[in-house]
Amino acid sequence: MASLFRAYGRGLGALLIAIATLWILALILVPLGAMIEQSLWWKDSKGEITLQIDRLYNDMATLQLDASGESDAAKKAGFEAQIAQKQAEATALEAQETNPPKTYGLANFTRMSGLHFYIFIRTIIYALMVTALALVVCYPMAYAVALASGPRKAIVLTVALIVPYAINELLRVYAWLMILDYRGVINGILGWLGLVDLDNRGWIPFLENPSAVFLAMIYTYVLFMVFPMVNTLETLDRNQIEAARDLGASSFRIHRRVIIPHAKPGIAVGCIMTFMLSAGSYSVPAIMTRGQGGDWFSQLVYRQFFESNNWNMGSAYAVSLLVVCTAFILIMMRLFGVGLRDIAK
Amino acid sequence: MSTANDSAGARLILNIYIGLFCLYLFLPLAVMSAAAFNSYDYPSVTQWRGFTLQWFVALAHDGRLIQGLINSVAVALGVIAVSIPAGLAGALILTRLGQRSGTVLYSVLVSPVLTPGIILGISSLIFWREFGVPGGLFVAVMAQSSFIASYAMLLFLARLQRQDRTLEEAALDLGASHMLVFRRITLPFLAPTAFTAAVVAFLQSFENYNTTVFAIGGEWTLVTEIASRLRFGLSPVINVVGVIFVALTLVAATTYVLLSSRKKAR
Amino acid sequence: MRGKDVRLDQVSIRFGDAVAVQPLNLTIEAGEFFSILGPSGCGKTTILRTVSGFIEPTIGRVLIGGEDMAGKGPNERPTALIFQNLALFPLMSVAENVAFGLEARGVSKAERLKRAEELLSLVALTGYGDKKPSDLSGGQRQRVAIARALAVEPSVLLLDEPLSALDLKLRQHMRAELRAIQKRVGITFIYITHDQGEALAMSDRVAVMSRGRLEQVAAPDTLYAEPATPFVATFVGEQNVIRGTLRRISNGAASVDTPFGPIEGREVGTPAIGAPVLVMVRPERVTLGADRDNRIPVTLKARHLEGPSVNLECVADGQTLTVTLANGPAMRDLPNDLVLGFGRDDALVYAEGALANG
Repeated sequence: MASLFRAYGRGLGALLIAIATLWILALILVPLGAMIEQSLWWKDSKGEITLQIDRLYNDMATLQLDASGESDAAKKAGFEAQIAQKQAEATALEAQETNPPKTYGLANFTRMSGLHFYIFIRTIIYALMVTALALVVCYPMAYAVALASGPRKAIVLTVALIVPYAINELLRVYAWLMILDYRGVINGILGWLGLVDLDNRGWIPFLENPSAVFLAMIYTYVLFMVFPMVNTLETLDRNQIEAARDLGASSFRIHRRVIIPHAKPGIAVGCIMTFMLSAGSYSVPAIMTRGQGGDWFSQLVYRQFFESNNWNMGSAYAVSLLVVCTAFILIMMRLFGVGLRDIAK
Repeated sequence: MSTANDSAGARLILNIYIGLFCLYLFLPLAVMSAAAFNSYDYPSVTQWRGFTLQWFVALAHDGRLIQGLINSVAVALGVIAVSIPAGLAGALILTRLGQRSGTVLYSVLVSPVLTPGIILGISSLIFWREFGVPGGLFVAVMAQSSFIASYAMLLFLARLQRQDRTLEEAALDLGASHMLVFRRITLPFLAPTAFTAAVVAFLQSFENYNTTVFAIGGEWTLVTEIASRLRFGLSPVINVVGVIFVALTLVAATTYVLLSSRKKAR
Repeated sequence: MRGKDVRLDQVSIRFGDAVAVQPLNLTIEAGEFFSILGPSGCGKTTILRTVSGFIEPTIGRVLIGGEDMAGKGPNERPTALIFQNLALFPLMSVAENVAFGLEARGVSKAERLKRAEELLSLVALTGYGDKKPSDLSGGQRQRVAIARALAVEPSVLLLDEPLSALDLKLRQHMRAELRAIQKRVGITFIYITHDQGEALAMSDRVAVMSRGRLEQVAAPDTLYAEPATPFVATFVGEQNVIRGTLRRISNGAASVDTPFGPIEGREVGTPAIGAPVLVMVRPERVTLGADRDNRIPVTLKARHLEGPSVNLECVADGQTLTVTLANGPAMRDLPNDLVLGFGRDDALVYAEGALANG
C-alpha cells in the first residue's frame, strides 16, 4: 500500500486501488459468492401450500353458507370467528406461497439425478479426451512454428493460426455444422459418389456421434493449445537440439528428452486452457448436436436456468463444473511444476 | 532458412502435416464462404444452383441481425470502457507490489481467464439480479468485462515489465506531480498497449457466446441471434455473415504480414 | 542559482534485514564538488537516492540548506538527479525534455521553450531542440541530461555515474566540461563514481565508501598521500602490500618485521605491538639504489614500458613488488639483480584490515 502511494502519489494511488477493488468485488468475487450462495439454498415446492389454501377457502365458503342460514346471533358470531381464523391462516399461507422460506443445505448438489450425474462425468471424460487429442494434434504444429521453420515462414504460420480465431467462434462451429450435417458437404459428396441415398434419408448421421463435437471443439480451441507451446518452445536454444543430434540421439529421443521437457510449462498451460474451455463450452455441443446427440453438462446448466427456471439447481451445477475445472488446474500446476504467473501468455 | 535439425524425410512428413493442419483450419471457412454465393436456400457447396448475391440482400434486410450487430458493437464498446481502466489499474498496482501480496492479488485478477465462460455469465446474472437488474446488454458488458479486463491486465503487465522505471523517477525528481508523471510519462508509454488491448477486448467481446448467452436475457447480440437461429436450421444468410468476417480478417492479416515483413526488411 | 549544503545526520539505511548504509555523519558544503567513491554495492547509490528523496533513511535525518527533508518526496526537494542511464524521455523532443521541469512548475509553453533553448546553448546544443533523444550521440545525450537537470535551478545536483556509458576519450572530455559547468553555475555537485580517476580529477573533496561505511572523507591530494585505512590505500592508486609483524613504535615511527627483513615506516592508526600489520608503499615512491631508509634486494622479472614511465615487476621471496620509474636511458639496460629502496615516510603501516579487491 505504502509502496503504491510512493509510486503513484496519494490521489492517483487511491484511484487505482478504487478501480481495482471495484473490479474484484463487483465483477469477480461477489458475483462468484452470489452464485455459490444461490447453489446452497432452495424453496419448498408450492404445490402443498396451494392445496392447503384451497382447502381453507372451501371451509370458509361452507362456514359462510352455514352462517348465512343461521338465525341465532351467538352461533352466527361463532361461525364468523371461525371464518376470521381460517382467513388469517390462509393469509399467512398465501404469504408463504408467494415467498416460501429459504432452506440452506447441500441438497441441490446431492439431488442431482443419476442421468445428470452420468452426463457430468461423461462431460469431464470428453473434455479430457478433447484436451489429449488437441495436445497430440497441436504439438507438431507448435514445433514447426517455433523451431522447424525460418522466421518468415513462422510469421505466415502464426497468422494462419490466428486468422480463424479472428472469426467468430460460433461461425467456426457453424462451418463444421455445414460440413457434417445430414445434407452437409460430406454426405453431399458421398451421395454424389452414390454411396449414400440422400433422398431417402440414407445419410450418415455424423452429428449424432460425439466425435463430431470433438472435431469442432478441437477446431475451435486449437489456438489455446498451440500458442502456449509455441511461446515456450521459442525460448529453446536450437543449439541444444543440434548438440543432442551431434551426440547421436534420434529425432524421437530428441523430442522426448530435450524438446518436450522444455515445452512443459506451455503444455501445462495449453492443457489447462483447452480443458477449461471444452468442459465449459456451451456453444459447440449446443450447436453441433442440436439435441440429436448426447448432452454436455453445460447444456443441462442452461436448461436449469432458462427452461426449468431453477436457478438454485443451475447454480449448483455451475459450482460443480467450477470445482472440477479448478481441481484440474491445480493438478496440472502441481504435475508440471508451473505457477500462475506462467499462465500469462 | 531451414534448420538442419531434421532429416529430409522427417521434414517432408512435417511439411505434409503442416499442410493438412492448414487445410483443417481453412477448408471449413472456405466451404462456409462459398455456400454464401449459392442460390440454394440450404447452405451447400455440393448442390450448386448458381451464383447469387441474394443472401447479401437478405442480410441487409434482416432487422434482427442488424440490431444484433448494433448491440454487439455497443456491448464491445462498453467492455472496452470497463476493462481497459480496470486492467490498467490492476497492472499498475501489481508492478509495484511485493512478491507475496502481489501473488495473491495476481491470482484473483487472472482467475476469470481460467474460469469457464458460462460460469462468469451465470454469476453476473445472479449478482445483478440482486440489484434488480435483469439479464440484458448491461449484464453482458459486466460479465464479459470480468475476464476481458484480465486479458487487458496481462497485456499491460507485459508492457510494464519493459518499462524503464528511472524515467518516472527522473520526472518526479524534476518536480513533476504524480499526476503529471502519469500523464506525460506512464500513459504515453502505455498508449500503444492500450490500443492493442482495446482491439483485443473488442474482438473478444464481439465473438463471445458462452458468457453472453447466460447474461443477455431478452436482448440479443449478433452471435446469440445466430446461435438461436441455428436451432431451427441452417440459412445462407449466416454464411454471408461468415464471409464478411472472413474477408475483414484476411484484409487485416494481410496488412499485418506486409507491415511486419517490411519492418523486418528495414 | 545558489548552492546549498547537504548534511546527513546519523543516517542509516536498511532494506529488510540487509544494512545498505551503516550509521554515518557527512556534511557537504554549499557549492562544493563532492564525490562519493567506492566499488559497486558499497552503498553510494543508496545515499544518493536518499538525498534525492527516493529512499527515506531508516534512521537519521537528511538536511539540505539546514532544512529537514523528512517526508518530502523527490519532487519537493531542491535537488536534481542525473541518472546513470540518463533517463531521457524517449517520446519527447530534446527541448521538451529540458523544459519538463518547468512544465511541472506551470511555466507557460513559450517561456519554458525559450528557457530550454538557453540551457541547450549553455551545453553547446543550440539547434538540437526538435530532435528526439535517440537521434543524439552519447555525449550529446549526456549534455541534454545536464541541461534538463539545471533547468529546474536546483541547489544540489546529484550525478549517478553519468559518464560510465561513454568511451574513454569522451569521458575525459566530459570530466573537464562537468567541472567547468559546476564552476559556472556554482551549485553543489554530489558525484557518485567507482572510477577513482574521475573522483580525483574533478572533486573538491572525496568520500570513499566500502560495505556501507565511510572509510575516509578528504581532499583528493590528502586521500592519495594519506589514506586513512588499508581499503582506501589500496582502492585509490596502486600499492605494494607487504605483510609483517609490528615490532616497535615510537613517535609515529614503526618498525616492522617482514619476510624481507625489518622495514621502517610511519604508523597510521594505532596498530598494537606484536600484531600483524600491512606495510603499504606506492610504486612511484620506490627508487633503485641502496641509499634509502629501507632496502630490499630483488630479481627483475619484467619491464612494462608505459611511455613517460616504466613499471618494473620484481620478485623477492616469492612476492611481487612493483616499481614505477620515470623513463630514461638508464631504464634500457637494467641488471637482473636490483636493490629497491624507499624512505621511512613512504611506507605506511596499518593494522590488518580489509583491502580493495581482496
